[in-house]
Amino acid sequence: MQLSTRKTMDRAFSGLGVMAILLMAGALAVLLGPMFVRGSRAFLFRGTVEHRRVMLELFGRGDRDEIRAELALAAEARRPLYEAIAQFEKELGEMDRGERREYGGRLDELKAALRALLGPFPGEPQPALPRAQYGQTRWDRARVKLREVLYATTYDYSDPAQMGVEVLVPRVEQFRGTSLEPIFAHIEGNAREMLRPRLTFYGRFLTDDSRDSHFFGGIGPAVLGTLYLTIGAMLVAGPMGILSAVYLTEYAGGGWWISAIRACINTLAGVPSIVFGLFGCAFFINILQVSPSRSVLAGSLTLACLVLPTVIRASEEALRAVPATYKEAALSLGATKWRTTFTVVLPACLPGVLTSIILSMGRAAGETAPIIFTAAVSLGAVPTLRQVFTHPTPALPWSIYNLATEHAAVDEIRHVQYGMVLTLIGVVLLLNAAAVVLRARVTRKLRG
Amino acid sequence: MNRVMAAPRDRSTDDATTSASAAPGDAVVTSRGFSVYYGANEAVKAVDMAILQGRVTAIIGPSGCGKSTFLRAINRMNDLIPGCRAEGLLALEGEDLYAPNVDVVLLRRRVGMVFQKPNPFPKSVFENVAYGPRVHGVRGRRRLHEIVEASLVRAALWEEVKDRLNDSALALSGGQQQRLCIARALAVDPEVLLMDEPASALDPRSTARVEDLIGELRGAYTIIIVTHNMQQAARVSDLTAFFYEGRLVEYGLTDRIFTNPSRKETEDYITGRFG
Amino acid sequence: MKHHRPRALVRERRAGRLARLASFAGEAFLFAIAVGSATVILFIFHSIIRDALPFFRSRGLGEFFGGTRWYPSREPAEFGALTLFYGSAMVTFGAMVVAGPMGIAAAVCLSDVLPFGLRQAVKPVIEVLAAIPSVAYGFFALVVFAPLLQEHGGRVLALGTLVVGVPLAVLAAVVFGDLASGCLRGGARRAVAVPAGVLFGAACLGAVGAAARALHGMAIASGTTALNVSIILGIMALPTVVSVCEDALSTVGRELREASYGLGATRMETVVKVVVPAARSGILAAVLLGAMRAVGETMVVWMASGNAAQIPSPWWNVLAPVRTVTATIAGDMGEADHVTGSDRYHVLFALALCLLTISFVCNLVSEWAIRRSRRTGE
Repeated sequence: MQLSTRKTMDRAFSGLGVMAILLMAGALAVLLGPMFVRGSRAFLFRGTVEHRRVMLELFGRGDRDEIRAELALAAEARRPLYEAIAQFEKELGEMDRGERREYGGRLDELKAALRALLGPFPGEPQPALPRAQYGQTRWDRARVKLREVLYATTYDYSDPAQMGVEVLVPRVEQFRGTSLEPIFAHIEGNAREMLRPRLTFYGRFLTDDSRDSHFFGGIGPAVLGTLYLTIGAMLVAGPMGILSAVYLTEYAGGGWWISAIRACINTLAGVPSIVFGLFGCAFFINILQVSPSRSVLAGSLTLACLVLPTVIRASEEALRAVPATYKEAALSLGATKWRTTFTVVLPACLPGVLTSIILSMGRAAGETAPIIFTAAVSLGAVPTLRQVFTHPTPALPWSIYNLATEHAAVDEIRHVQYGMVLTLIGVVLLLNAAAVVLRARVTRKLRG
Repeated sequence: MNRVMAAPRDRSTDDATTSASAAPGDAVVTSRGFSVYYGANEAVKAVDMAILQGRVTAIIGPSGCGKSTFLRAINRMNDLIPGCRAEGLLALEGEDLYAPNVDVVLLRRRVGMVFQKPNPFPKSVFENVAYGPRVHGVRGRRRLHEIVEASLVRAALWEEVKDRLNDSALALSGGQQQRLCIARALAVDPEVLLMDEPASALDPRSTARVEDLIGELRGAYTIIIVTHNMQQAARVSDLTAFFYEGRLVEYGLTDRIFTNPSRKETEDYITGRFG
Repeated sequence: MKHHRPRALVRERRAGRLARLASFAGEAFLFAIAVGSATVILFIFHSIIRDALPFFRSRGLGEFFGGTRWYPSREPAEFGALTLFYGSAMVTFGAMVVAGPMGIAAAVCLSDVLPFGLRQAVKPVIEVLAAIPSVAYGFFALVVFAPLLQEHGGRVLALGTLVVGVPLAVLAAVVFGDLASGCLRGGARRAVAVPAGVLFGAACLGAVGAAARALHGMAIASGTTALNVSIILGIMALPTVVSVCEDALSTVGRELREASYGLGATRMETVVKVVVPAARSGILAAVLLGAMRAVGETMVVWMASGNAAQIPSPWWNVLAPVRTVTATIAGDMGEADHVTGSDRYHVLFALALCLLTISFVCNLVSEWAIRRSRRTGE
């Protein structure tokens, strides 16, 4: 082959590799982009007066007088609407039966859409569910509901070959010629006055309880539950892993039992996470009965089993990285092996060991499968410290799954789902970043 | 084949405060038929030798001749190497070091070591020197301070680090680190100080300072120094032993070994015919 | 300094015995902890086997491994797990189609092509990809990727084809042009190379474009399919493949590479002919470990694979929903828990046992491969 051909192929080859890397980076951007953008909307959004009302009435936050004044203004903007509807209802009573049924049905639809947008009508009895007691708290959702107020969804079944086609009919057409016709223009023109959206930063999203299955409020319980599980896992796996690593590097001779121990730990590293979940349920809950049913304790123990191999491996690496001369120097001064290990070797590799613990924390925080059957519930309060041995807890990974798949009103709480995902990713990335920083300091320290 | 030292020339100056047991010039470390094996390989072959109290004894020889192995046998650092065993007698003031119930920890209090590459712990200067005494039970803060200061003075390092006692030892220069290691070894108050090529990783100026230090320590301590640098051996030591292929070939006063060696191998090595 | 010399080398009997006892107790304690860590896996095997055997005892092996009808809650219940195994195999294979070539190419680029600075800049990308929790990937697959495939499926696939195909076509054109004019030199060479390259390139681009157009018109009924899951699993397995591969490539060492360069080989020739063959056990291990990661993944497949326990027809139809072993365990356990002791409960452990065995075997093979690569690489 010609030299120039070889050179071209060489360049093509490098190009392939660079392409692969660019694809990877692109995948990462495509993955994280929507999470960050839409997730931030859980924290930073245009909140309506209904949101401030929720904050005041459900969480006791905000200036009562200020909000009352705002509500008065909003009520003022909504008044013509309610009056027109009341008027129309009177007129309805005077229509003949056929018309009454037709307009009555359309009116009911309109009122339902208005309730979804603005909350219960004045004078109506308070609904039972909190989600129905308030209008839309977010301006982006409000705009969606506004469309539903202004447009009715009907289906066109005229074409027998296709499924029914969705057709949006402006509601004003439905009420053409009645006294209700002008209110649609009013609604469309005055939506902002009726809801008064304002840029809101809801930082307490991270700590607030959720109300009415995440319709209102924040993800506090899930965050706290994840914290409990992670710390619990590290409390078990940390010391156990470090001490095992110390034994394997410092004290173990040769011998078949050392290889057996190592083989067991390596196999443990390859077990799929769902098997850990089954194991946790069957072993900790059913056999050992560490708790009557699901609990933070069982979940922490299961997670500890999951991260144990990582902690051992990384701790072994850190221990081996300590130069042998430190050990020699200590021994030559007359220290026993025990003392050398614990006063010279371990302190020297402590940052490396800490790095491994932090990385394992990130892993434990993000795992779902081990906690499904051992610790997690979808709703509920976080157990107090005394209850962690017996009570289950909500946790971020499981709540994310739950909200995204099994929730009754999946679309209404999209922002909460994204917010949870952003929080989880944020926590994990933060822990990883901390580990990286620590690792940089380790290499600098040992190099002197 | 192996010659044992005759009456030494009196070179000691300040031996007034030496140990009550051994007088200057007495044999403090004796080996008789002492061998060290790595598995089947005999690295040190039947050495008969007597190291004298308060003297600086240099062990020279080409690489691989067993000098480091012999040195490390004296404080039983060879125990760390799997498959390593010793035969024959190696005694400190008459007591067999390889007797079955000898406590290695106690041995290493009496026989200290300085390594080729300076290896201060990644702790502060103070903690480095205080490590040895702490291990052997010294507790009080003031007592530790006294010991640390005295050791650093002995190692000719005190003036340079007295304001930096709590700084990391790794921030010192190479030569300072080595003197720190010497101070650290001195802090446990050993009788014998083993030095395995202590200046080979240092620049000439630091080397000179370490050599001066060895001269200052002579008399108070028995120093055994392994070196591949013959000029260094000639400069610092009173007695020199030449090892070759695991055997002690010649042992005697430094002046005589270097001016008038009695064995041909010694003469060949010293004149550089092989290295 | 006052000389305060302890005279003895041998401790007093009692103190010595106490010291020895203490150090023995300490070592025994550490040993016990290490053994404890090792026994976790034994307990796992025990618990899983213990609860899996009842199923095999009552239903036998034939239906489980050979049957394709999975209806555990029906009366009478059918436990044909072959569909589930097929689903797992399908998505794993798809994931490795994505992760294998891309991962190896990226690893080669990282270890041999990129300068040190760029390498340090790329490493965080890989580490972040590895750190993202699986439920976040699952969420992305369900909430972002599935609707995307469903509404713009054809367009996305077409775009993907273009993104991958166009650079490949350009590269192929350049190479072809060079190869075609191989025996000529100088100006004549250029006169032949350029048109040849352009023609070939045009042909390739035409093929790519046609494929893209064909895909563009495709309508995807639902976004939660094997394709969706395969792509996401591939991205999840990438960091594993890249890092293990890179390890294997660096184990080969500088000497081998320097020998090749010293003989005048280009970088590509060195890598393709010397480094990769020397590291092939390690590369195999990398792919195997990536596949293991894909097989064991639960959340992504549970959320976005469609969860239909059927073998797609035709068997290679990636646009059909499938169900994997892991999703079945996760999904059914919630209900089966209420009927502990029934076949429905035990079959999940049987599935878990299969998973465990497969991971175990893959682990062994990849460790053997890595050990081999270390031995031959040194």
